[in-house]
Amino acid sequence: MPELVISALGVTSAIGQGKAAFAEALFAGRHAFGRLQRPGRSEPGDDSACFLGAEIADLSLPPRLPARSARTASLAAQVAAATLQEAWDEARLDQVDAGRIGLVVGGSNMQQRELVRLQAEFAGRAQYLRPSYATSFLDTDICGLCTELFGIRGFACTLGAASASGQIALIQAAQAVAAGQADACIALGALMDLSYWECQALRSAGAMGSDVFAGEPAQACRPFDRRRDGFIYGENCAALVVETAASARARGLEPYAHIAGCAWVMDANRSTNPSHEGELRALRQALGQAGVDAAMIDYVNPHGTGSPLGDETELRAICDAGLAAASINATKSITGHGLTAAGAVELAAVALQLRAGRLHPTRNLDDPVAPGLNWVGAQARQQSVRWAVSLSMGFGGFNSAVCLRHPQA
Amino acid sequence: MAEVKSWDEVYAIVLKHVRDVLPELQSHAFQPSDSLRELGANSIDRADIVMEVMETLSLDIPRVELLGPRCIGELVDLIHAKLGNA
Repeated sequence: MPELVISALGVTSAIGQGKAAFAEALFAGRHAFGRLQRPGRSEPGDDSACFLGAEIADLSLPPRLPARSARTASLAAQVAAATLQEAWDEARLDQVDAGRIGLVVGGSNMQQRELVRLQAEFAGRAQYLRPSYATSFLDTDICGLCTELFGIRGFACTLGAASASGQIALIQAAQAVAAGQADACIALGALMDLSYWECQALRSAGAMGSDVFAGEPAQACRPFDRRRDGFIYGENCAALVVETAASARARGLEPYAHIAGCAWVMDANRSTNPSHEGELRALRQALGQAGVDAAMIDYVNPHGTGSPLGDETELRAICDAGLAAASINATKSITGHGLTAAGAVELAAVALQLRAGRLHPTRNLDDPVAPGLNWVGAQARQQSVRWAVSLSMGFGGFNSAVCLRHPQA
Repeated sequence: MAEVKSWDEVYAIVLKHVRDVLPELQSHAFQPSDSLRELGANSIDRADIVMEVMETLSLDIPRVELLGPRCIGELVDLIHAKLGNA
């Protein structure tokens, strides 16, 4: 298997657009949580519904996105284009044969709020529904838009794996490059644009918080803290460029990280409950593929959503995999849970931390469920990381793990 | 119910919706001989334009009857004729 790297990346998030702003906010532990305000995030006429989360305030669109395309592009698609632009420029993908560039968009059902709004707008006059809905309602419109804007002529697809989608997009991109299907493949964890319908169901199902901190949005997102009561949503998106180390070097790029090992396994379980066995299996497979002993792992970037059962299950799996001594923090405590985007955003966070030699803090970790672990608490920590592992899980039994190595390690 | 409008009124309505769908053409000096395709509208853009015009004019006619115009002027001719018959 060729040596694969993450050679470039782009991030758009509620805490900042662009990786520099994102990293700065991460290391400062600066959040953007509040009441969700975007149209379509509360039931029309009902001001009592109050969902918490973090929304992107001022999206800067890439100049190459024409107004005619932006008109019918969903928020998820616009954010994808903006995020891809950053990764594209950094990777100098204009120098790569367009027919040898692939795009894997992680996520399914990403445009829910857009669809709800459009259906409400045309209710009672359906015969005048704009015909472009025929293409824009498809998640794959994100593939169409991005490949058109950037001239990508290799392969593209969406890949759904619930909240593991972003990480599994990276795994699929790595497999495509390893198989020779593409010379460079972009894994994009797409923004999941929730409508009030999904927010309501996720709250009712007990997955989304926060009843406890309804009046204190800054307190609500608290993975691994004893007072957590569910995940808090965050709008975000990341694009990661995967290629061989040789290909990146040929264009003068210094990779962020080597992709040393990947695992993607199911629990044979349609439901939402986590599986210690599945998570442990994913961790062991990823470390095994990397050929690294658990004791060598310096840093764990967990899925860590703030789910009462999910967090505890994950910590047990991490400990049982022999990773109890590694530094650990929770990216979602700062960014919120991007659902389909989360796995890619967190791999971007790992890559940026590897490069900075610094680990970001964990917000609201006042009383950790496992106080004996090596938590990065309220303050960022200087630490050179050689080996890191990141986990993702998704409803319906998805577990994945990716092991990254510092390029100089 | 569709109301009768002059050719120039229909032309102005069509141009308004062309500019809605193709915002880059805000300052374009339109001619009836302009082809939407040549102005950069793809088939979905053209369908959106026609649909917006239909709603503005409260027209509900089978789309197949609006196929064929090769330029904006011919589209206006066709819609204008439909209004006259309504």
